[in-house]
Amino acid sequence: MAISRRSFLKGSSLAAASSLVAPALLGNPFVRKAFADTIGDRYFLSVFLDGGNDGFNTVLPVDDGGATLRTAYDAARTTGSSGINIGPAALAGTLIGTDPGSGAQLALHPALTGFKQLYDAGKLAVIQGCGYPRPNLSHESSRLAWETGTPPGQSAGTGWLGRYLAANYTGNDIPAICLRWGLGGEFRQTATSVLATGRLRYLNFPYDPAFWDDIERKRQAFHALYTGAQSTGLPIADYIGASGIATLLATESYAGLHDLYESDRPEFNQAYEDLDERLGYNLREAAKVIHGIASGVPNVHARLLDVATGGYDTHSDQGSTTPDGHHWGLLAEVGNSLKLFYDDCVDMGVGDKVVIMVWSEFGRRVPQNDGGTDHGTQYPVFVLGGAVQGGVYGNHPNINESALSDDGNTVYSQAAADPFRSTDMRDVYGTILKHWLGMAHGTILGSVLALDAGDPAERWTQENFDMGFLA
Amino acid sequence: MGDVNSILTEAEARHLMRRAGFGASPKELAKLAKRGLTRGQLVDGLLKFKTKPLKVGKKDGLDDVYDRWLELMLKTKTPLLEKLVLFWHDHFATANAKVQNTRRMAQQNALLRTMAKGDFGQFLKRINKDPAVMEFLDTLRNNAKTPNENYARELMELFSLGVVDEAGQPNYAQEDIVQIARAFSGWRLDDDGNAVFRESRHDFNADHPERGPKVIFKSHGMFGAEGVDLAGSGEGAQEIDAVIDAILRHRDSAGRSTVGRRITRHLFDYFAWDSPSTALVDELLDASGFATTWNIGALVKTILVHDAFYETAVPVHLGGTKKSVKWPVDFVVGTLRLLRVAPKRRKWLGLAIPDRDSLRGYLDDMGQRLFDPPSVFGWDWEAAWISSATLLARCGFVRDVAAARAKGKQGFHPEKLVPLTLQTPDDIIDAASNVLGIRDQLSPSDREVLQDYLTDGGAVATLDLTDAEVRNRKLHGLFALLMESPAYQLH
Repeated sequence: MAISRRSFLKGSSLAAASSLVAPALLGNPFVRKAFADTIGDRYFLSVFLDGGNDGFNTVLPVDDGGATLRTAYDAARTTGSSGINIGPAALAGTLIGTDPGSGAQLALHPALTGFKQLYDAGKLAVIQGCGYPRPNLSHESSRLAWETGTPPGQSAGTGWLGRYLAANYTGNDIPAICLRWGLGGEFRQTATSVLATGRLRYLNFPYDPAFWDDIERKRQAFHALYTGAQSTGLPIADYIGASGIATLLATESYAGLHDLYESDRPEFNQAYEDLDERLGYNLREAAKVIHGIASGVPNVHARLLDVATGGYDTHSDQGSTTPDGHHWGLLAEVGNSLKLFYDDCVDMGVGDKVVIMVWSEFGRRVPQNDGGTDHGTQYPVFVLGGAVQGGVYGNHPNINESALSDDGNTVYSQAAADPFRSTDMRDVYGTILKHWLGMAHGTILGSVLALDAGDPAERWTQENFDMGFLA
Repeated sequence: MGDVNSILTEAEARHLMRRAGFGASPKELAKLAKRGLTRGQLVDGLLKFKTKPLKVGKKDGLDDVYDRWLELMLKTKTPLLEKLVLFWHDHFATANAKVQNTRRMAQQNALLRTMAKGDFGQFLKRINKDPAVMEFLDTLRNNAKTPNENYARELMELFSLGVVDEAGQPNYAQEDIVQIARAFSGWRLDDDGNAVFRESRHDFNADHPERGPKVIFKSHGMFGAEGVDLAGSGEGAQEIDAVIDAILRHRDSAGRSTVGRRITRHLFDYFAWDSPSTALVDELLDASGFATTWNIGALVKTILVHDAFYETAVPVHLGGTKKSVKWPVDFVVGTLRLLRVAPKRRKWLGLAIPDRDSLRGYLDDMGQRLFDPPSVFGWDWEAAWISSATLLARCGFVRDVAAARAKGKQGFHPEKLVPLTLQTPDDIIDAASNVLGIRDQLSPSDREVLQDYLTDGGAVATLDLTDAEVRNRKLHGLFALLMESPAYQLH
C-alpha cells in the first residue's frame, strides 16, 4: 500500500477517505491518529548536549557594551597554559548581534562557523540566559528539570513534550522517535508509544531464517502475547506490552527508511560520512525519518524527533582555545553537523517545516577551576530552522564576580527592570508549543506548563509564549 | 506470613534462585526441595562465598577482562556474589570510557568482590582511594588552589546520602560539597597506581586561613548549627576518612540513619521491587542492624528472607504487582545457563553461529555495557531497560540462541531439556516454560496463544517430538516465543 497518508487526507472527509484505502489500513491505529494531529506537516527536533555545555564559552561578550561583561569574563577565565579565555581577536569571524540587556557585542565560539552561517541567513535564534529558579547543580536533577519543564522538587514525572503527546495521541500510535539507544526524557509519558533506536537499519524483527514458512505463525503469536500484556493492569507489564506491539509494527515500516534514504539521497548520505561526526551520524538518522514521511511511506509519521550527543562535562582539560581542544571539537561538531542537517532538510523541501532546539542540562561555573569548569546554571539555548526568526533573544547573565552566588554561579532573575533578567526555559517551551506545535495558549498553561508561586522577581509567575523567535 | 525459619516452597526457591542468582534448572530445584531448606538456610548457603579477582593477563585489553567476567557468571556456583558485584558496579558506577585503563577497571572489580558483603563504611573508604574512581570523578585533579567538586558531589549524591531524604528534605548543601572537595584535595596516584597523599596539593587551613576550617553539615544531618569540623582529628590525609565517618553518622529529618535507609532501599529495589514504603525500609534496616554494624551481608539476608521479597514471585495474571524488568546481563547469562548453552571462545565469547556478535555486542544493543555504565548514575533500571531498540536486541539474542544448532555444548538442544515422549501442546508448553522458570507466570491466554502456535491454529492435535523436523521447527520456535514473551522480560 504505497498511498501517502497526507494525500488521502487532504481535502477529503473521513467517509470519502475510507473509500480510497483498504479496510486493513484504516483499521490501523497509526492512520486513525492522523486526524488528531496538531503538528500538521511540521517537524520538531530536540538536540541534547549531555553533560552541561559551557555557555560562557559558547556565546561570548566581545566588549563591555554599557556594562562590564567582557571585563568580568576576562577576570573569571584565564589565558595561558591551562587557560580557557577566548580573546576578541579569535572571535572576529563569528560575531553576531548585541546583548539586548547591556548592548555588548556578542560572538559565537570560533568553532561555531556552521552556526554563524545560519545566523547570517536569519535562521538561528540565540536565546541567552536560559534556566529555571533555584537551579540544581546535579546532572540528574537539572536534566530532569529541563526534561520535565518543572523546577526540581516539583517534578511532574512526565516530560514537557510527553504531556503534549499525551494530550494529542493515544494507544499504539508512534508520534515521536528518539534516534538514540534509549528514551529522551522530554518525551516521557504513558499514553502513547515513542520509538527509540540509535540506528534505523536495526529495526528489523529478528526471525529464525531456517523456517520461513513458520514466520507468519510466529508473528501472530508474538503479536498476541504482547497484546495480552497490554491490559494486565500492572503498569510495567502494560508498558512492555505496548512497546512490543509498537516495535513489531515499527519494524514493518521504519527499518526500510535506511535503504530508502541511501538510494534516494546519495549525496547527502555521503556528506555525513565526510563530516564523520557522532552528532552528524545521529542527525542523519533523523533525516531518514523525515525523508520517509515526506515520501509518504505508510505508517511512518513520527514528526517529533530527538537526538543526543555527549562529552560536555568538562571539569578538566576543557580545551576551548585551540582547534585540537576538547570543547572546541564539541562545538565544531554541533555547528557543522546541524548546518549539514539543515541543508539536507532544505534540499528535501522541508527546510521551513523543521524546527530544531539545542539544549543541555545546565551551563558551567563562571570562574574556571584548574583547566576546566564545574557545574553551572543559566546558558544559551539555540533554536534553528527555516521558519525561525533569527537573532539574539534574552540577556547575557550577569557574570560580575559581585553578582555571582557563593558557589560562583550566575543568579536566576525574573525582575522586569533587570538588564540581566534570565530567560525561563518554560517561555522557550511555551513559544515552541504555541507557535510551532499548534497548542492553544490556555491549553499549554492548563496541561503542559505550570506557573510558579512566589516572588515575581525570583520565580516564573508570568509567562511569555510570544518570545518572537517563532512567528 | 513467613520468616527466616519458613521452609521454602518450590515457587519460593525458584524465585530466590532467580533474583539472588541467574535462575535454577528444574533438576536443581527438585534437589533443593528434597533437602527441605528454610529461607535462612538457603540464603546462608548463597552468601557463603570466597572471592578472588578476575584473572587478568599482561596483554589483556578491557574486552578480555569483560569476557572473563561473563564466563565466570555463566559458570559460577556462587551466583549471589556476581549479583552483588553487579549491584555495586552500578552503585559506584565508573566508566572505562573516561578511565581508559584496563588494570584499574579490573582492580576496581576486585575491590567490589572483596567488599561485596562486607562493611559498607570500610567499602566507602576504599572507594575514596580506588584509582579508577579517582580518575573517573577527578580526585586526581583536585588540589588546594582550585578544588574540583566532582567526587565530593557524587560521593554524597550517589554513593551515600542521596540529595534528599525519605521525607524530601535536603541532606546537604552546596557548601558541604565545597568543603568536602577541599578535604579530599591532594590525593594522587604513585608510580604503582596506588593512592597517595601529596601534602603540597592539600588545602591546609594553616596555609589558607581565609578559607577557614573545613566544616560540613551545618544545620544538616542532625549535627546542629555547628556541623562537623573535619579537622577534629587533625588536618591532612586523615580528612578523607573523617568525611566518611561524618556521612555514616548523618541523620535525616526523621532522625534515622540517612545512609542506612538509602542503601537498604537501594538493595531492596535491586533484589525485590521498586519503591518500598518507608515503613518497610525501616523494618528491614532495624532487623538487619545495618545502621550500626554496616554489615552488607546481614542486610542482604534480611531482605531475602522477608515476605516482601517473595511478593515478587506472584504472577501478573494472578494479581502480582511487584515485578521488575530483568537487567540485560541477567537476561543473557540466565538464558544461557538455563538452556545449558556454552558460548564459544575463539575470537571472542559468542554464540556458535556464523557471523554473529559477541555476547558483549548483544549486551551493548540491549543497553548494558559492563565496565562502561552510561554515566556516574549507573544504568537506568526498570522501564528504562525496555525501548523498541532494546526489545529488538533481546529478540535478536533469542533468535540466535534458538538458531544455534551446533553439535555439542555450544548448541541449543531442546531435546535434552524436554522429554520427547510428550505429545500434547499443553504438556510441551509446561515442560519448556518450566525449563525457563516461567511456567507459573504464563497466563491462560498466553497458553492459548502458544497452543495455537504449536498446532498451527488447531490444524494438528498432537506433535511428534521424536521427528527432528517437528523439533527444529516448533520446539525451537516455542522456546524462542517463551524467551521473547513479556513474562520472561520480568522477574
